[in-house]
Amino acid sequence: MKTLTDLQPGTSAVVDKLRFNDADTVRLMELGFIPGMTVSCQRRVPLGDLAVYQLDGSQIALRHETASRIRIRFGTGAEGIDGGNG
Amino acid sequence: MAATAELRKRAATAPPRNRRTVAICGAPNVGKSTFFNRLTGLHQKVANYPGITVEKRIGSLELSNGQAVDLIDLPGIVGLHPRSEDERIAVDVLRGASGMTPKPDAVILLLDSTNLQAQLRMVPEILGFGIPTLVVLNMADDLSARGGSVDVEAVERQIGAPVASVSARLGTGLEKVSRFLDGTLPIPPPVALPVLNNIPAERRWAQDTAQRTNFHPPEPSRWGRRLDCAFLHPVAGPLIFLGVVIAVFQSIFTLAVPLMDGVEALIAASGSWLGSVLPDSMLKGLLLEGVWGGVGSVVIFLPQILILFLFIGILEDSGYLARAAAIADRSMRAVGLEGRSFIPLLSAYACAVPAIMAARTVENQRDRMATLFIAPLTTCSARLPVYALLIAAFIPEKPLLGPFLGSRAAVMLGMYALGFAVACATAWVLKSTVLKSKPMPFMLQLPAYRWPTLRSLTFRLVDRAKIFLRRAGTVILVTTIVLWFLASVPYTDGQPPAIGDSLAGWIGKAIEPVVEPLGLNWKVGIGLITSLAAREVIVGTLGTIYGMEGDEDSPDLQDALRSDLSFGSAIALLMYFAFAMQCMSTVAIVRRETGGWKWPIAQFAYMLVLAYAGGFAAYRIFG
Repeated sequence: MKTLTDLQPGTSAVVDKLRFNDADTVRLMELGFIPGMTVSCQRRVPLGDLAVYQLDGSQIALRHETASRIRIRFGTGAEGIDGGNG
Repeated sequence: MAATAELRKRAATAPPRNRRTVAICGAPNVGKSTFFNRLTGLHQKVANYPGITVEKRIGSLELSNGQAVDLIDLPGIVGLHPRSEDERIAVDVLRGASGMTPKPDAVILLLDSTNLQAQLRMVPEILGFGIPTLVVLNMADDLSARGGSVDVEAVERQIGAPVASVSARLGTGLEKVSRFLDGTLPIPPPVALPVLNNIPAERRWAQDTAQRTNFHPPEPSRWGRRLDCAFLHPVAGPLIFLGVVIAVFQSIFTLAVPLMDGVEALIAASGSWLGSVLPDSMLKGLLLEGVWGGVGSVVIFLPQILILFLFIGILEDSGYLARAAAIADRSMRAVGLEGRSFIPLLSAYACAVPAIMAARTVENQRDRMATLFIAPLTTCSARLPVYALLIAAFIPEKPLLGPFLGSRAAVMLGMYALGFAVACATAWVLKSTVLKSKPMPFMLQLPAYRWPTLRSLTFRLVDRAKIFLRRAGTVILVTTIVLWFLASVPYTDGQPPAIGDSLAGWIGKAIEPVVEPLGLNWKVGIGLITSLAAREVIVGTLGTIYGMEGDEDSPDLQDALRSDLSFGSAIALLMYFAFAMQCMSTVAIVRRETGGWKWPIAQFAYMLVLAYAGGFAAYRIFG
């Protein structure tokens, strides 16, 4: 299983699954980490283990530990946002 | 339209105190404050939400029809699922569940129009409250400059609410906002919006709506990429961070000096003018020595404080601060805190009180406690006058790194570093013992870079100057006057006593044995007592004491200190002020935030021990 931490700077993938409790999942989705959304890794932040991700028009820095709980899949993301019908 | 007519009728007949309340809400960094400032100008005040202490900015606005409305600038939210205290307040106000703040009569939802496909997700959430809402597509100038566009009328039809395209930065497009506020803007028929509480569905609706309204996203800003390349570069990034910090401290000295000289000359001139026109009396003594000597010696530091805030404002408004927070995350984690604690701690450099309030944005309760415990150890701006006075009096100015860093700025920087280091060590001890906790997911949004505007920087500085002068006019004025009276009694043979024989001198001498191990005398001892109210009071106190004691014509406080204290004593005094919790406002706010006396007492005692030990050690080493 690939996670966001496998994403090299300059490459992109599609958010697949968030492995957090409900509250954390909601906040990550509010920030754009919605399954089906295309995400790219922009760069690693100096010192520390943060990486900057670009998705849904904004830039968000995540720690390695947080990024490792966001599963990704490779694809175009053209199929759009998953789930949540209704 | 009946409702609008009704509203206008009510506006005409309602008493002026029956004002309407309009709340401004939106995600962080969409320009809420700029928009708020644009509408209200300087007619605004910062208050606290009753019972809870997150700053609440209220502005009043006079409409063209003579009616007045109160605008509330709500804390930024990204959705209706608050995680921190400030977000909870914003959502509660919108729900009408905040208790003290009534449910607003209308809402202005600000969206960043350069990122509309994501931002529109907030629309169904906010419209779901059933409050009349105007949706403002802000940053319209940025959108069109980078080749983006959107059909505003189509957005109106799609969401069933009035929409205005605005640039708060330039002040364009505000006519529609005024018409919304005075109730003359036609309201489009409502439409069915997606079910709430389903973020993917809301987000998909936002995507579709953006398409149906011909939203063309702007070209990505090339600037932003390039700046990130530099600011987050593995080598250059941390170096730039360091360079920025040094530049700030150097300019506090070099840029501020001519301004401070100006303020000083102004105070001296007005003081001697007062001295020449007032008849000799006790009142004259109080005015000249007490008020002009005491308050004046504090007001001199206004330029330095404003320069510090100018830099913080530039860093924050430009978007650099979030990058700095990302770089600082590692050191925050090393002491067991999360990166989110960085922002409150950074604002503690201005003042511990708002920092302790800002700790409400820290989601983890134990981290929040640790953050507010260490916040008063960071070098707040009230220490700046004390440090600046002592450094200018005891540290000779020598260039260290060519023209870039002088010895005085270096010592000042050292004092800031010391405060930071001790705060970190304290956090580490707390987080590995009594406040141990599991880490939470860490996410930090990096806002787009923006050019800070003169206007918003001016607002910040005016705000800051008001707060500083209000303190100078209240706390410092009162302590100075009390001190002056204590120093002027008892009268013998109709003559005021020498300061050493006065009540103040007696108190000072009573505590002299306690401060003597730090190399300090009874005059400084008086200052340590008066400055329990607020740190900078000591400067005013010393100004009064040495002013009353010294010869009549302009006693220079620096000269007086140099002749009265040794180098070691001065360093000891610096140490004492680096650590001691000489600030009643901080004690009060910590008590309120933690709901008891346990934390503030522990904090006060801990910091006093550090201060005394630090001063003692410094006097041993340098004395």
